[in-house]
Amino acid sequence: MRKFLLLAFRNVFRNKRRTLMTLLVVAGGVAGLLLVGGFFSFMFWGLRESTIRNGLGHLQIFNAEHFRRDEAHVLENGLNNYQQITSIAQRAAHVRGVTARIEFYGMISNGQKSSIFMGSAVDPAKEKGMGFEPRVSAGRYLDGNAQGNEALIGAGLARSMSVKPGDGLTLLAVTADGALNGIDIDVTGIVTTGFKEMDDRLLTITLPAAQRLLQSERVTNLVVGLDRTENTDAVYAAILPQLGGSRQEVAIRKWIDLASYYKQVRTLFSGIFVFLGVIVFFMVVMSSANTLMMAMFERTREIGTMLAMGTPRSWLVGLFVTEAAITGVLAAICGVAAGVGLGALLNRSGIVLPPPPGATGGLSLRVIHEPGLMIGAAALVLITLAIASLMPAVRASRLRIVEALGHV
Amino acid sequence: MEHLVRIEMVSKRYALDHSFVTALDEASLRIQSGEFLAIAGPSGSGKSTLLNLIGCLDRPSSGRILIDDIDTGTLRPVAAAALRRDKIGFVFQTFNLIPVFTAEENVEYPLLLHRMPESERRRRVAEALASVGLSDRARHRPDLLSGGERQRVAVARAIVHRPALVLADEPTANLDTKTARQLIDLMRELNRRLGLTFVFSTHDQRLLDRTDRIVRLCDGKVIEDTDDQEVRDAQVSVVGI
Repeated sequence: MRKFLLLAFRNVFRNKRRTLMTLLVVAGGVAGLLLVGGFFSFMFWGLRESTIRNGLGHLQIFNAEHFRRDEAHVLENGLNNYQQITSIAQRAAHVRGVTARIEFYGMISNGQKSSIFMGSAVDPAKEKGMGFEPRVSAGRYLDGNAQGNEALIGAGLARSMSVKPGDGLTLLAVTADGALNGIDIDVTGIVTTGFKEMDDRLLTITLPAAQRLLQSERVTNLVVGLDRTENTDAVYAAILPQLGGSRQEVAIRKWIDLASYYKQVRTLFSGIFVFLGVIVFFMVVMSSANTLMMAMFERTREIGTMLAMGTPRSWLVGLFVTEAAITGVLAAICGVAAGVGLGALLNRSGIVLPPPPGATGGLSLRVIHEPGLMIGAAALVLITLAIASLMPAVRASRLRIVEALGHV
Repeated sequence: MEHLVRIEMVSKRYALDHSFVTALDEASLRIQSGEFLAIAGPSGSGKSTLLNLIGCLDRPSSGRILIDDIDTGTLRPVAAAALRRDKIGFVFQTFNLIPVFTAEENVEYPLLLHRMPESERRRRVAEALASVGLSDRARHRPDLLSGGERQRVAVARAIVHRPALVLADEPTANLDTKTARQLIDLMRELNRRLGLTFVFSTHDQRLLDRTDRIVRLCDGKVIEDTDDQEVRDAQVSVVGI
């Protein structure tokens, strides 16, 4: 067995230039997969964390009715005793904070012009403590202790209303009872989310201000922030049975269940990655099959000699597959090393890609080195090379001995 | 004396375009164990074809070849490979050593096919290389050996598993006269000392002088066998005519 491996190993390096070219092609494919996959992983990670940090949180707790029927009026399906539920959730391990939110909508006016807004009411101190602070491009974030009705508005909405921090606006909304109500607000800051559609409609005020506007003590939901996203499942499993004891039937949702945009992006880019994997697969198959076929033709007389000496044909198949596997292992090692090295260089380069469609900020070109991706890419080339070696291996094993010995 | 190889009315025809070429035409021959036999004849006379058929590398179109009473024409490929592995050693005109193996690894190769323990392999390889006078070149790769040395490695490889029969197809064709004589002398000595049966093909008359028995072929037919009374009688009658 040792000699057999030695023979295969030496055969791999018999034509060093050709082996080097094959290694370059295959390792290039592996490195390319790692870089693209690593960049996609970074994008997924960035999108996941920004989705969570932009206010989605890791878990959200709702009144169970929220998912069963639509509301006739705002907060009809809101949470009543949210302080009790908050204290239950707050006690679980890995929980950084729990904050209440009210989601509402209405009209915003500067006296001369009106527009639609999508509002969110928050507890500023808790939001800040949980890292849900939005990117304030002008002015300052909300102050939970302020006496007036402070508000943050999206950059597009601010432009539309022609306001800047310090200016006043009026909000109009339908209350929980179905009546029309209005409050005056002071714009304290302009925020940007990175998405134009959001920036054109976004409004954030404090919970007391929203409760005054909507005439209700309820909240839409509770948002739970964790120390790490990876702990989501564990905390979900820990909180779920405890919430069963609360007076109100509640439903708890993980961030992934609520992040439909994230899931769509991930599905799209995973499809692109699979497509790239298929291209690399064919690239490796074609180049390595060509190399192995040439090696087979060059060694025809030698193969004939081995067969003449009584070498079982299965040994020859095994020899060629082993040579391909050795090439695959070397290519995988070189490819992973190149992918990690180039990835590290890219991460240090500080390159920023142009903003994607619908986004207002550029995207950093960074790569996450994932062990699973490295193992997957290495396994892909190993399997691919083994498959590519089968045809020359079988052809070598089926050579007619007399013709092979006479091969020039 | 017991016959190791019996060739009975063997013919070999090859398809060429829309016709057939007869490479061997109803050849019959008997080879005893321990013989040192040369198959002579001009190019195209059927020497290599005969050796290929004896070596189970090819199948006859008609007739029978028996090695140790086994009809090789009836063997399945796996059984033919096993017969070659166990009973036959090959020496080729172009040496045909595995270039990435050293001399000793080349000699060791047939023993690997027999799945022999490493200690036994080492002992046999050392013996075989010593018997061809190449102990000091054991670690050299073929490209660092002369033509004569390569062919001696090939001979060591052919005898290391102690086959009943060694077949050598024009083993001296790529060697100069002196080296060719040395190789034939070496094969002759191994034949005498180890009792190995050697069958080799050549068209070099100087080498034929060093053999016991010569079988001459012409146009695929056995026209002379220095050990066969029937053929000798036939030749006398032909001369008489």
